[in-house]
Amino acid sequence: MESGDQYNFSIFSPRNLHGRKNRNVIFTMLAIWALAVFGFQTLLRVIEKPVPEKALTIFESEWSHVAGGSGDQADYLALFGSLLLARGKITVAAADQQLLSSAISNVTFTLVPDSVKPLLSEKVSELEVMHSEIATLKGQPYLDLKFRIQDAGATVITMLEPYTGFGTTSLEASILASSLQGNYPASLTDSSFDRLPALMKLYMTHNQSVLTDTRFLGFPFHYFYTAVFLLVLFVVLCIVYNILIEWRLRKEGIVE
Amino acid sequence: MKKIYFTIILLLSGVITLNAQNLTQLEGSFKTGPAIILIATLVTFVLVGIFFRAKDPSDYYAAGRSISKVGSGMAIASNWMSAASVLGMAGMMYGFGYNGLAYVVGWTGGYVLLLILMAAQIRKYGKYTAPDFIGDRYYSRDLRIVSAIFTILISFAYCVGQFGGIGLMFKWILGLNYTWAVIIGSSVVLLYTLISGMIGATKNMQIQYVIIVSSFLLPVFIMAFKFDYFWLIPQIGYGAAVTDIVQGIPAPNISDGVALLNAYGHDFSIVPSPEFAMPWDPSTGTTFFQWMAICFSLMVGTAGLPHVIQRFYVVPKVTDARWSVVWGLFFICLVYWTAPAYATFGKLLSSNPEVGVLAKDAIVVYTAQLGGVNSLIVGLLAAGAVSAAFSTVSGLLVAGASAFSHDLYVKVINPSSTPKQQLKIARIGTVLMAALVTVVALMKLGLIAQLVSVAFSMAACTIFPLFLLGIWWSGSNRAGAKAGLFAGSLVTVIALTYFIVGLRGGSLPGQAFVSYWLNVWYFAWIGAPLAIVVNIVVSKFTKPTPMEIRKFLAEQVHN
Repeated sequence: MESGDQYNFSIFSPRNLHGRKNRNVIFTMLAIWALAVFGFQTLLRVIEKPVPEKALTIFESEWSHVAGGSGDQADYLALFGSLLLARGKITVAAADQQLLSSAISNVTFTLVPDSVKPLLSEKVSELEVMHSEIATLKGQPYLDLKFRIQDAGATVITMLEPYTGFGTTSLEASILASSLQGNYPASLTDSSFDRLPALMKLYMTHNQSVLTDTRFLGFPFHYFYTAVFLLVLFVVLCIVYNILIEWRLRKEGIVE
Repeated sequence: MKKIYFTIILLLSGVITLNAQNLTQLEGSFKTGPAIILIATLVTFVLVGIFFRAKDPSDYYAAGRSISKVGSGMAIASNWMSAASVLGMAGMMYGFGYNGLAYVVGWTGGYVLLLILMAAQIRKYGKYTAPDFIGDRYYSRDLRIVSAIFTILISFAYCVGQFGGIGLMFKWILGLNYTWAVIIGSSVVLLYTLISGMIGATKNMQIQYVIIVSSFLLPVFIMAFKFDYFWLIPQIGYGAAVTDIVQGIPAPNISDGVALLNAYGHDFSIVPSPEFAMPWDPSTGTTFFQWMAICFSLMVGTAGLPHVIQRFYVVPKVTDARWSVVWGLFFICLVYWTAPAYATFGKLLSSNPEVGVLAKDAIVVYTAQLGGVNSLIVGLLAAGAVSAAFSTVSGLLVAGASAFSHDLYVKVINPSSTPKQQLKIARIGTVLMAALVTVVALMKLGLIAQLVSVAFSMAACTIFPLFLLGIWWSGSNRAGAKAGLFAGSLVTVIALTYFIVGLRGGSLPGQAFVSYWLNVWYFAWIGAPLAIVVNIVVSKFTKPTPMEIRKFLAEQVHN
């Protein structure tokens, strides 16, 4: 009578030499696979450091002066540039965009002389109305309004250029035109701006290391490794596994 | 094959004579060219299905035996690539930067597990469906029923994301609102499944793959060329664009007082945005743990998806099972190497404040549109995305309906049913499932890739442990399997419950803790290992596996 013990099987205790060799191939492949995927990401995590963007460093050095009321024109301009760079990021959440827009609007109206403010307010209000309308339009009316927004934005930027230094072709100008709003807290000391430093830190600090700063085929190295190399490795691992297994089967004369 | 070429040429000849439509808006208008391309593509699939109609069910299964390993790989790739691959992945990278790459790695790395641990052994075992295998290996009718139910649930969860993708593409093409687009898209996919569900499937999958991959790759070549990146291999050429995003593109040159347009046709530059490429950037709201958990869950889930595993039952030889994985993975990678390029170009093109943040799941089409790619090619891209969703949904609805009619109705409820009754039940199951999926898709519970990842986590917690231990450890017995399945199901239920409660604005004890550590998108990171451990522990202390099962495993599967 058969005891059945001879049929007990597990990947850790194969029943014969062929099984043991197969197991070794499988474990080797799995080790390479796991190390390549999870090992690399762990290494990335271990060696990374939070690195602030240059704009954040500027913001942090100017914020205390400006929020304390002791800032001069140069401080406001420096702060202004860093706020625009943060507002220009498309990862910024809607509520945070709103806060940044408020801060930008506040600084903009602080920078311009009183004589310009009424006209600027009028133009900004016009822009806000047009922005709210465009979402509901289609076809030619949409295009017409889009061009009107561009013209109105260019007018505002031209009006502000002597005070901000940003011409219509500059990066900051297009962000400014779409950020300005009529309603904003009158002072940067307003409590609604309390979380601005933390918000700037959130969007302008990044986990970086030698693996992210090194360039390879134009990519940041870690990005190339994950998006391109790992996929190549998976295909190669599969090919090597198949070749190894079939070579062993042929060598041992096993027909599946 | 000539018949296919003739059909395609006939249907597309009218389309290519159309003038390119002036794409002035991303949404909101009916797009004639893309609509005709979409209809032509779908009609082609139905006609190919009719030309290559399987004469009987065994012929359907045997279709795989007459095609090459490369053809089989194409069928695997087509079966695999869904709206999540074509639309969802780029959307995740566009929205969450480096964390989106966890989906790329997870959905490809899982094939290594599938090959090394499953493919050949499943083929050697010789069953036809996942519930068949589980019911037989664990000598349990109960487990067969439960696994059939999970097969239906996994197919259901997988379909929700696909219907969302179909809705988005119909919305873009027809200019309708999302609700109507989902309802119309769902009706069309249901009709398509009922007409072509079981006909000419393998041949259709090959053609679908060619359409999906060519429509997906072509716009990237065009954009890389247009934007002056290395266009011969844009899958590498976009690397410089990633760096441009990280470092920012400086303001354009001024020549005679007039701004020169930059490579993207815009008269402005781009702010430095390292958050797009830096790992688990705080501003994306993602963490290192989430990257690892998503990646692991997707990998393990890949090796546990019933409709993926099922492909290996029908290949003629064990060696074909192995090589079809390699070819399938290679063909899948062609698309997965390209998806990050869409996210990258999309990020650059939408950096214009006038464009603003775009809907993540439609970023692939928007990118091609904003990149000035000819509207017919963009239409083809949208048709390719719909094809990907259609091919997957069609397979999933058939798999779900089969589990219902074959594994539940015939084997459990009414064993004496006639083939006519079985067919009727399968059709009712298909319609019912499509209707329910439509309702859930309308709720917009998440992004396509996230919704699909629920199916992966579910499969990883329930089906994967049963297959893994069932194949690799003869000691895993019925009691262990039941206990393991219970543990995996429990984790699934907890994750889903907290998700639904959170979605409705409610709060359960430890809501924030569970929502993070047992998030519905990646709960398999703990659910799958837990199910395996419970299975092992309970098996050790209960009645051993019957000798005939152990003998079969030792002699047939591992000899």
